[in-house]
Amino acid sequence: MTKATPFLLGLLCFGLLPLTGQDYLIGVSFTLLTWIALTQSWTLLSGFAGYISLGHVVFFGLGGYFVVLTWGILPYWISLPLACLVTFVFAIAISIPVLRVSGPYFVILTFGLAEFVKYVVMAVESHLGQFGRLLLGVPSLATLYWLALFLATLATLITFVIRRSRLGQGLIAIRENEQAAEAIGVPVTRYKTIAYGLSATIPGAIGGLIALRTSYFEPQQIFDPVVSFTVLTSAIIGGSDDVRGPILGAAFLTLLSELLWARAPQLYLILLGILLIVFVVILPNGICGLLRRRAAQA
Amino acid sequence: MTSFFEILTSGQLLLAALITGTIYATVGLGLNLVYGTMRLLNVAHGEFLMLGAYVAFWGFSLFNVSPFLSAVVAGVLTAALAAALYFGMLRWCLRNPRMRKRIEPNSLLIFVGVSIILQNISALSFTGTPRGYQYLSGVMTLGSISISANRLGAFVFCIAICIATLIFLRRSATGLAIKALIQHKEAAEIVGVNVTRLEFFALCAGFATAGIVGALVSMTEQTTPFMGFPFTIAAFIVIIMGGLGNLAGGIVTGLLLGFIETYGVAFTSAAWSSILLYGVFVLALIVRPEGIFTVRQVVR
Repeated sequence: MTKATPFLLGLLCFGLLPLTGQDYLIGVSFTLLTWIALTQSWTLLSGFAGYISLGHVVFFGLGGYFVVLTWGILPYWISLPLACLVTFVFAIAISIPVLRVSGPYFVILTFGLAEFVKYVVMAVESHLGQFGRLLLGVPSLATLYWLALFLATLATLITFVIRRSRLGQGLIAIRENEQAAEAIGVPVTRYKTIAYGLSATIPGAIGGLIALRTSYFEPQQIFDPVVSFTVLTSAIIGGSDDVRGPILGAAFLTLLSELLWARAPQLYLILLGILLIVFVVILPNGICGLLRRRAAQA
Repeated sequence: MTSFFEILTSGQLLLAALITGTIYATVGLGLNLVYGTMRLLNVAHGEFLMLGAYVAFWGFSLFNVSPFLSAVVAGVLTAALAAALYFGMLRWCLRNPRMRKRIEPNSLLIFVGVSIILQNISALSFTGTPRGYQYLSGVMTLGSISISANRLGAFVFCIAICIATLIFLRRSATGLAIKALIQHKEAAEIVGVNVTRLEFFALCAGFATAGIVGALVSMTEQTTPFMGFPFTIAAFIVIIMGGLGNLAGGIVTGLLLGFIETYGVAFTSAAWSSILLYGVFVLALIVRPEGIFTVRQVVR
């Protein structure tokens, strides 16, 4: 149980946090939890199987759009799980052509796909005569916080369980050498499809949560490629081969963003770019790789 | 209401499609040189174009310099930036065995970083306000076709770049060596091609093309820190569909893309321009990752 102790302690801290009653603190923690959930989901395909997605915002945005469209018709405790279902089905539906493309082409394809969906949603919205939607009667911050805590915990558990399962081992084999994995009997296509679907599920609900938190919807905002860049950078900073990685990476970036975003958003993004390059070039296994090396030396 | 037939036979649209296509072809040409020779997935290609556009804008607004002259300055400046990137980081990456083995995905991530950095440095220094200026904006009329002088100038300039590059690659020894490098690096090295020097040259030339086109585009389009994305996407369509290292195929694809976009928008509305561009991009990647006009391997 020693390995699980930091996670349980962390969970306890997040669980006790609303008792402080500080809205600022709860708001920042809410943001952190959503990034953890997004980054953990991202690692299922992109970390384990090495199919790096540069367009994870597409699931986030579609989930958010679904919750916004059904706002006032469905209560959030129905629309949020349905948003997960929608993005899961969407990922499975597009997986057949998309997952045939591999390596760097997959990366730019996911980016192009996300931008494509963004412009389609923008066209649909302007056709409907909508220029931004205001959501009235959204749930309180405390409610959203509990939901985010639940989703972040769920995403972490899923990543943890899959990492140790046959599926996870198969995905790692795909990352190391797809042809060899297929040759020794790993059901490559099925595993990749499952991982893609799962990695799309929780971001659907997170998109919904963010839409409810901002209580305002605009396609350019919810499909912002910066979301994809942040998820990618969190995973790479933390190290995507370790369940701790996304948590550390997301915590680091949330802290940085809290310090800079309001005052100097451009400076924050410049630092994001620099960190991405530095970690890719110098520390490809992220902070977790560094921790493991320390542990091995000690 | 213009009829379907009128749109199809409009000389005005034909020229517009040709101009857009030529610009895309030229942007793709630069990426082809960088990706073809070094396998560096430069997703920041459009950002270098954006820098070129700012050079022309500031050159014109502050010193009243002609954008055509600024284009040369922009080319030199982006080439210098390429050299700085090469000596600062890329050379090390290409020599490091771990990076070298996975140079395509790694370079992609590095250039995502470069792209974010350049966009936001520009946003920080020049603000996000769209910039434009009037230079040779008078309209010339030829029969039923009218065109602004600056668009015509950009068109001619891009055609000149394309033709010069094609002739250079087909006729000169350096150009042939670059083509050999694109087709088969190891074999080129064996027959005595100085790989490192040529790669560096191709890198600078590729980035310079982006800067030059940026300066030209700034005459007719708004310059913003975020204008680069669509051009990067267009450049990728050109090299994916045109085939890696196949510059003629790339020019054909660039023109095709110009036609799809111009006529697509004419039949629908301006909102469709991005949908069409990204739609073609997604389709191109899914259908033909190895290119439609692929280079045929000659075996003798």
